[in-house]
Amino acid sequence: MIDVIATRYYYLATFLLLGVGTYMMIGNRNIVKKVIGVNIFQTGIFLFFIASAYLEGANPPVLTTEAPHVSPLPHVLILTAIVVGVSLTAVALGLVVRIYDEYGTLDADTLWEVRADE
Amino acid sequence: MIGLEFALLGFVFACALATAVLRDVLGSIIAFAAYSLGIAIIWVVLQAPDVGLTEAAVGAGVTTVLFLLTITKTVRPSGERTLERLDLPALGVSVVLVGVLATTLGALPPIGGAETPVATSEVTGYYLEHAYKEAGVKNAVTAVLAAYRGFDTLGEAVVVYSAGVGILVVLQREVFA
Repeated sequence: MIDVIATRYYYLATFLLLGVGTYMMIGNRNIVKKVIGVNIFQTGIFLFFIASAYLEGANPPVLTTEAPHVSPLPHVLILTAIVVGVSLTAVALGLVVRIYDEYGTLDADTLWEVRADE
Repeated sequence: MIGLEFALLGFVFACALATAVLRDVLGSIIAFAAYSLGIAIIWVVLQAPDVGLTEAAVGAGVTTVLFLLTITKTVRPSGERTLERLDLPALGVSVVLVGVLATTLGALPPIGGAETPVATSEVTGYYLEHAYKEAGVKNAVTAVLAAYRGFDTLGEAVVVYSAGVGILVVLQREVFA
């Protein structure tokens, strides 16, 4: 058990970050904090990918350095995912601003009540 | 090295927790910026400097600015309490999620080992061997991003463009002011 964790602690950190992200998406009533939760969940998954590419004693995937190199492919996928994640956050926050203009609140529970009354 | 890694992971997790429990959204955003910076350093430790740079510029930079812009246009919850009240059902869901995921830990390959599937993969070997010959770039990440998976990057540009159009539509504006 201990040596499983000792060699896989980055994956454990991934799981914990996914847990924090899930808690924020469900538990926090403020919708801006729900969006921050989405971001934390997302970086948890990034950590999984980058940790899986890591090779003990290897250099970054820049070919001016000595072999061995870590795998470049997960890095590329995560670079794309970071940019897509920011686009997603921007649209979500645009919706948040619009919701505030329309209903005057950012509290998810109050929004439910206001929407139920309509 | 291992001490540094544990310190970083501890810092990142503490920042994530602070983000979750702080009631003031501004405090939460600052904790999230610190979290992004910690994660960017972890990318460098894991030999992914390109991802680290992007995370520091985009994750800690642009995302934080977007959040700050949002709270200037909306409202900060004011109140006497510093911490959020604990939501037990949500805590239950996330504990169950972490528990279920943790059962898969033993089946995952050890990190950094020479026989991990990603390191021994044919694709990895091909990219590292041919990137300079075929794409003429010494940075394998750039070669894969711009040459081998160029269509992916085109798709990414489409996503960013759609997001820009989406924001304008949602905010009912015609230009970014």
